[in-house]
This record gives sequence, C-alpha cells and structure tokens, in this order.
Amino acid sequence: MTPEVERMERLAERLRTVEPFIPPPGAKIRGWNLVLAAVEQSTAARVRVHPVRRLVIGAAAAAVLLLAGAGAASADSLPDSPLYPLKGVLENARGVLAFGATDRLAYHLELARIRLTEAETMIARHRADLAGASLKALDDQLNSAALVVQSERHADPAAAARLQERLRQAVATDDQQLADLQGQAQTPAAASAIVQARARAADALKLTQEPSASPTASPGGRPSPARSNGQASPTSTP
Amino acid sequence: MREPGKAASDDDRPLIERVRKGDQDALRTLYERYFDRIYNYVYARLGRAEDAEDLAIDTMTKSLTRLDLFHDQGGAFSSWVYRIAHNATIDHYRRHGKVALVSLERAPVPESADPSELAVEQLSNEDLHAAIRDLTDEQQQVLILRFFQDLTAAQAAAVMGKTVGAVQALQHRALGSLERALQGRAPN
Repeated sequence: MTPEVERMERLAERLRTVEPFIPPPGAKIRGWNLVLAAVEQSTAARVRVHPVRRLVIGAAAAAVLLLAGAGAASADSLPDSPLYPLKGVLENARGVLAFGATDRLAYHLELARIRLTEAETMIARHRADLAGASLKALDDQLNSAALVVQSERHADPAAAARLQERLRQAVATDDQQLADLQGQAQTPAAASAIVQARARAADALKLTQEPSASPTASPGGRPSPARSNGQASPTSTP
Repeated sequence: MREPGKAASDDDRPLIERVRKGDQDALRTLYERYFDRIYNYVYARLGRAEDAEDLAIDTMTKSLTRLDLFHDQGGAFSSWVYRIAHNATIDHYRRHGKVALVSLERAPVPESADPSELAVEQLSNEDLHAAIRDLTDEQQQVLILRFFQDLTAAQAAAVMGKTVGAVQALQHRALGSLERALQGRAPN
C-alpha cells in the first residue's frame, strides 16, 4: 500500500467516525405535520380529478363507508375536519375499555400526545383558534392523568410513584415540544395559547404531589368532561 | 452511533404500496425511516440547521406526495429520495448562491504543507465539514453518501446516476481534494 493510499484510508476512516447531525425533535414533528397535510391535500386533489367516477363509487359504497369507513377515517381526522367529532366518540369508547390505573394513565397520555400533534398542525395551518382548543384539551388530558396518579396513591403508593414518574416524563416531553412550538408561533394568539398550555401542564404535574381531594377522580378512565368550548377536542363533545 | 446515516433499506416497496393505498401508518414509517438521514445529508451539504430543516421537510413532502412518479422498476426508493434532496440543495444554491465553489483538484497546495503530516485523527468534525463544503458538488456528494450516510458504492452510484467504477474514482479524487483542503486549513 502506497503512502498516498494509506493517507486516503486514514482520512476515510476519520470521516466514518464523524457524528451525524440529529434534527431537533420539533423539526421532525413539524415536518410530519406538513407531510401529512400535503398528502391529505394531494389525495383530495386526485379525487377531484374524477368526479363522475367518484360519484358512482361513492353511491355504491355510501352505506358501508358511513357506518364503518367514517369511523376509521375519523381516527386520523384533525380539528378542522368534519369527521373530527366522530373521533371523540371513538376515543370515549376506548376510554371506557381502559381498566386499571396504568391503562388509564397510558390512555390519557396518548390522547394528550394526539391533542398536541393536532395543535401543531393547526398552528401550521394558521388556525390559532383550533390550536388553542387542542392545547386546552391537551391540558385536560394531563389533568385527568394527574388525577389517576393521585387516586392510585391510596391503593398502591409504590405503583403511584411509578405512574407519577411516567407522567413527569410525558409532561417534560410535551413541554419541550411546546417550547419548540412557541418559537414557531406566528401570531400572538397562538403564542399566548402555548404559554398558557405550558403553565397548565406544569400545574397538572403539581396536582399529583397534592393530597387527593377526591379519590374518585377520573372515574373509570373516561376522558375529561365537556368543556365550555365544544370544539376543544373530540372527546369534549361525545 | 450513526443511526441517521445507516445504510438505506431495500424493504421500502411493501410500505410504498401501502402508502399508495392510503395507509397512514406506512406513511409514518417511511417518514421516520428517511427524515433523519435526509436532514443529515442536507445539513452536511449546506451547513445551516435552519436550511437543513426546511429542505429535509421539503424533500420528504415531495417524496411522499408524489409516489405516483416513483416508478418502481428496480430502482430503490432511497435513491429517489436522495436525488430529490440533492436537487433541493442545488435549487437552494441557485436561489441563495454558494460561496467558493472551486475545484480543489488543481488547487495549489500551500508550500509549507506536507500531506503526510496531516494528523487526521486530530481534526475536528467542524473542520471536516467545512472542508467538505469547499469541494465540488459531486465530490461533496460522494463523500457524504459514502461516509456520512454509509451507502455502498453501488447505492451511491444509483443516487448519482454513475457507474460503480466512476463513483470509486470520484471518491478517490474527492479524498485527495479533501486532504488538500484540510492542509490549507491547518494552522501554520
């Protein structure tokens, strides 16, 4: 091996050890929301190209789609979609089937993540009103999760401590994401909604450290009750 | 730990079929599989996090919304995504200009420089990245694909539309140019 080839080999080896650039989590989430929105839009545009065909197929499958398909489609719907209220019905149904504190906590934390993703998409679409509603719904889910932890403390303090740690991690992750989102907010209304959401999330975590006022909180793992704003989340308008 | 640069998978075809049928889980899987790699690729090319973020998102949006344009005739989806990312960086250069796109193959080596004295192990990642960005477009591309993205010569050839032999020759020249660029950067 010539000295030149040896040098090239050493340089190549050094290049292989260079640490990759890791995208910030907020970038990845923002990208996913934009990709999802673009895919939905392009799918809708393709459908518009064939209106007659769509009509024929739609008529034949309408009954099935209305009953089964709409339910499935609503699972991925967003607050600005007509199917969004149906998503709440399905989420409520899932909540009824969440037994045990661990399942109920996981259920609320998952819904909180969904609300956060929805809020990000709404901000990306410049719908500060719907984003604010999703953020309120996010905090409602975190509150419900905190109440699960609080009520579990009576039954099993060790398990409650584990649940509290899960909640703490979830709130920390959400807060990081909200902080990224705050930097991207393009209107004062959106920024203010995010600031409030972060404060409410921190309050929810504090709630787990307080003595339980009502051990029956979050009954049966059901989602939080209806809020004043009917569009806050799909679960708010069952 | 080089997760974003992990070699591209060839198992994309079933996922692409599912995405074409409207499967959002498959869409998410494809997105997760490629976003970090493309971000890493674009960042290495441009050197700016903000631009890398925008271009990576743009690349993923184009790739996943125009799957109907991806003709699966033996070509890998990964090659197609990298080509879109490459085109996006070229467009970016056109719009914003690029500093010092000068081939270093014939660039004079500083008189004091002795290539054998270059301590590559002591070079910082920043120096390496900066020196790579001084290379020609193709030289940058081959080094990033081969060493940062861990693509094989055949995969890099598919992305660049070249033969494997041409990629290997280009890689050799690119390493030589990089060595000279680093030598020029070394403090006297």
